[in-house]
Amino acid sequence: MPGRTEGIVLKSRPFGEADLIVEYLTRDFGIRPAFAKSPRKIKSRFGGSLEPFTHARISLMGREDANLPRLTQSDIIRPFQTLREHSGGFVQACGLAALVMKLLPERETHGAPDAFELLLWGLDGLEREPGSSFVPVVFKLRVLALAGYAPSLSGCARCGRQSEAFNFSFYPRDGALLCGDCKKDAPAIKISAALKGLLGSLQAFPLEKLARIKPGEKLLSELKGFVETHFREGANITVKPARPL
Amino acid sequence: MSQGVIENLIEQLSKLPGVGRKTAQRLAFFILNMKEEDASALAGAITDLKRKARSCRLCFNIADSDLCGICRDSLRDKKRICVVEEPSNILVVERSGGFNGLYHVLMGALSPIDGITPEMLKIKELVERVREGGIEEVVIATNPNTKGELTARHIKEALGPFDVSVTRIAYGLPLGGDIEFADEITMKKSLEGRRKIE
Repeated sequence: MPGRTEGIVLKSRPFGEADLIVEYLTRDFGIRPAFAKSPRKIKSRFGGSLEPFTHARISLMGREDANLPRLTQSDIIRPFQTLREHSGGFVQACGLAALVMKLLPERETHGAPDAFELLLWGLDGLEREPGSSFVPVVFKLRVLALAGYAPSLSGCARCGRQSEAFNFSFYPRDGALLCGDCKKDAPAIKISAALKGLLGSLQAFPLEKLARIKPGEKLLSELKGFVETHFREGANITVKPARPL
Repeated sequence: MSQGVIENLIEQLSKLPGVGRKTAQRLAFFILNMKEEDASALAGAITDLKRKARSCRLCFNIADSDLCGICRDSLRDKKRICVVEEPSNILVVERSGGFNGLYHVLMGALSPIDGITPEMLKIKELVERVREGGIEEVVIATNPNTKGELTARHIKEALGPFDVSVTRIAYGLPLGGDIEFADEITMKKSLEGRRKIE
């Protein structure tokens, strides 16, 4: 089992008298649960570093094939305390964590740094602007792509046409666009040229540049509808939503 | 003596949290060597607990009648309520000797990711107790972690319309601890909660 990495606490559950099993998304090893000895005791050296969404430098000890490595050190890099103190933002962040746990397999190291950076981006966005409707929807789109469920938007999936003049529709069950000439008899969503462009940018832009994209309310609402439909029907995934308070 | 009797006790004791087979074996032989009346008292206490234990109608502490001992005690300060997550937390507060009021057990803490919402806790019942009047202070003693904080904030909002002082137990460094080993969040909270030396 590897030693040091960076991790974000997704969730934790009590174990035994004062121990915790902490679910991390790590930069190098993907989702890893870790066993923390006695963090619930008042004088624990872990202090507040195992609270949800804490970004920390952690040390994990155990054999290469250990199911539950032991957490030996956790030094906070960014606590996300402000986010935790905002009830609405906290519930949204719980939603991001639930998506990560649902879509990304445990111990998958491939793509782990991207997933890690994406979650950091999402938490940062929610801490800056709790209640944001842009951050969760973009996060969902990008995490779907990391899990292999990216919608195919490059052009008509049958004939390859790309021009906007061909009146594209999106077929959620196929996860792809078809042009007006290739359309088929199946449930489809009409998508505007503006949404097609926005989706392309949201999928291609590096995370640090996503903040520059500021869609209007109507386009954002269209985006939300598209992502939700693709999530539900295309990827066929259900995630128990974080319950609002 | 039949091995079945002792084996049975070992098996039953192994079901307790934190008790492995070896500890269960040690306990079983200890019970075997106990005086008969002590062993009967132990067995009786377990049976009594299961038969009589119930939730206090008012505060949801463990009780053996309609109201728990604390709610029945006429010497307690009935103007103050200390809100805790679990009945076991009451024992800790009581042991400290720092509180002489009544309690209210929430039976958990809010946790959106686990689907624990206010309706699943005894928050409505707390609001009802405050609405009935006579309460001057509600001390929120939920755990000093994210779930406890979220719960405390929710209770503060729920009690907003009432003329009652809502207070939170202090945060900070534990007695006997060393600042060198304090994490950033605990240190920040203890600085925010600093007070004048009297």
